[in-house]
Amino acid sequence: MDFYEWVRHLSWVRHLTIHGMPFSYYARLNRAQQAVYRKSDEITEVRLAQPAVLHPAVAALGTALATEDRAQVQRATERLIRGLTETLGVPPVQVEVLAARPHAKWGELHGLYTVERGKTPKIQLWMRTAKQRRVVAFRTYLRTLLHEVGHHLDYALLRLRDSFHTEGFYKRESSLFHQLVAERRAPGSSVEAWFHRPPDERLAHIAATPDEVAHALEGRSARALARRPAAAAWAPVEVVCHLRDAEETFGERFAAILSMDEPVLPEVGPADRWAAERQYLRHDAATALAHFRRRRGESLETLVAASPVDWQRGGEHRTRGRLTIDMLVAIMAWHDDNHLEQLTRALEGRS
Amino acid sequence: MPSMEEYAKQPRDARIQRLTRTADELAAAVKGQSDAVLSRRPDEKNWAAKEVVCHLRDAEEGFTTRFEQILAMDVDPKLAGPSADRMAEERQYLRNDAAEALAAFRKRRQETVAFFGTLIPAQWDKGAIHPVRGRITLDGFLTLMAWHDDNHLDQLTRALQGRA
Repeated sequence: MDFYEWVRHLSWVRHLTIHGMPFSYYARLNRAQQAVYRKSDEITEVRLAQPAVLHPAVAALGTALATEDRAQVQRATERLIRGLTETLGVPPVQVEVLAARPHAKWGELHGLYTVERGKTPKIQLWMRTAKQRRVVAFRTYLRTLLHEVGHHLDYALLRLRDSFHTEGFYKRESSLFHQLVAERRAPGSSVEAWFHRPPDERLAHIAATPDEVAHALEGRSARALARRPAAAAWAPVEVVCHLRDAEETFGERFAAILSMDEPVLPEVGPADRWAAERQYLRHDAATALAHFRRRRGESLETLVAASPVDWQRGGEHRTRGRLTIDMLVAIMAWHDDNHLEQLTRALEGRS
Repeated sequence: MPSMEEYAKQPRDARIQRLTRTADELAAAVKGQSDAVLSRRPDEKNWAAKEVVCHLRDAEEGFTTRFEQILAMDVDPKLAGPSADRMAEERQYLRNDAAEALAAFRKRRQETVAFFGTLIPAQWDKGAIHPVRGRITLDGFLTLMAWHDDNHLDQLTRALQGRA
């Protein structure tokens, strides 16, 4: 069955999200549809009144995906989509999270929005890749989710008679994405700057880091990943191993703070000693990333489960003074930025 | 191989002396062994010889980190549970070079022995709460380390012979 046969087979399908497929609808549309297309193209953003209200739901979605458990992803997806529809004052939509994406020669199906007369519209999202059955990266999943929500908003919010993949449509999708996910700040952003940003924004930021590292490493050979840009500057694989081992320490600090009353937080490392002793240059970067992702998922679970009072609990660090969980999350966000920047430089051969 | 109880009865200096011999004993055990042999697990679950060396290296760091915490706190800190197998997996022990790991262990061990040399009598009684073993003083940790060395040297010998 080829793509078009498949679409005909699903005759009730109104919209498909096939990544990598060209869309050249306009010329084939009738005049009324072209008018709808042009209107869609003119609207370039959907503003959320208080995006921060939805950030915990976004962070929870990242955490749910990290668990790889479909039921948890279903609940987290429902929570975020319900939050979006309620915030925007549009009717609800039914949500279904499925396992491996359907696929054929034309590619993989990421998500689907369907409307049938007299029924609640429905969004279906697939959380695993078709062939390798890996859990979809958080940002990719969120993009697909917002894409399908975008179709719903075309009808329910913008009152368009049809929902086309126009440039304006994609810009609206991006505008939602950027309101929900804190973007990387320019290198040099300080810990203090992160500390003044809302906790939810920090959580969303650190939830996205494993995907950003994965994106940076994509397609690089083991040799390129083990190449130091200068004798004393880390190679990409060393940066990834550092993030993995630092995450272990963050986890230990959270556990210490939550299980004791103002514990002393011992000094660890230093990082260069870890890199040498643990022989980071011999490590496999993809494996190190997978373990960093797992550790980060565990950190997020701890942080999301901790109450606001818990976030103000702390411990004493010999050189940094008293550190609360709140401050440690700001340090994590800053630390991620710092090392992502270092990773980018190393991949470009710059120290 | 002395048990924990037997080690506990030994004078402190004898236990410290035991710690100073371990790096050489490891070096003698792995001498002349190929990387293939050092990387061979006796079975699916049991560590290869080089994983034992890496474990001793990282455990040494773990011990001294806890010791600093114990000395710095007025109350006994609560320690986290053991995670040696997870460390072996995450830190990719099987990709390590055994000789380099041994050199790193030797350096860490020298630092530990030097640390024990700085303790005043009252500090030996300071302790922490271990999730399995209950309260352990620094003196108890010295005993634990002596036994831990024996235990893993034995494991390493077995691994080189292909025994679990």
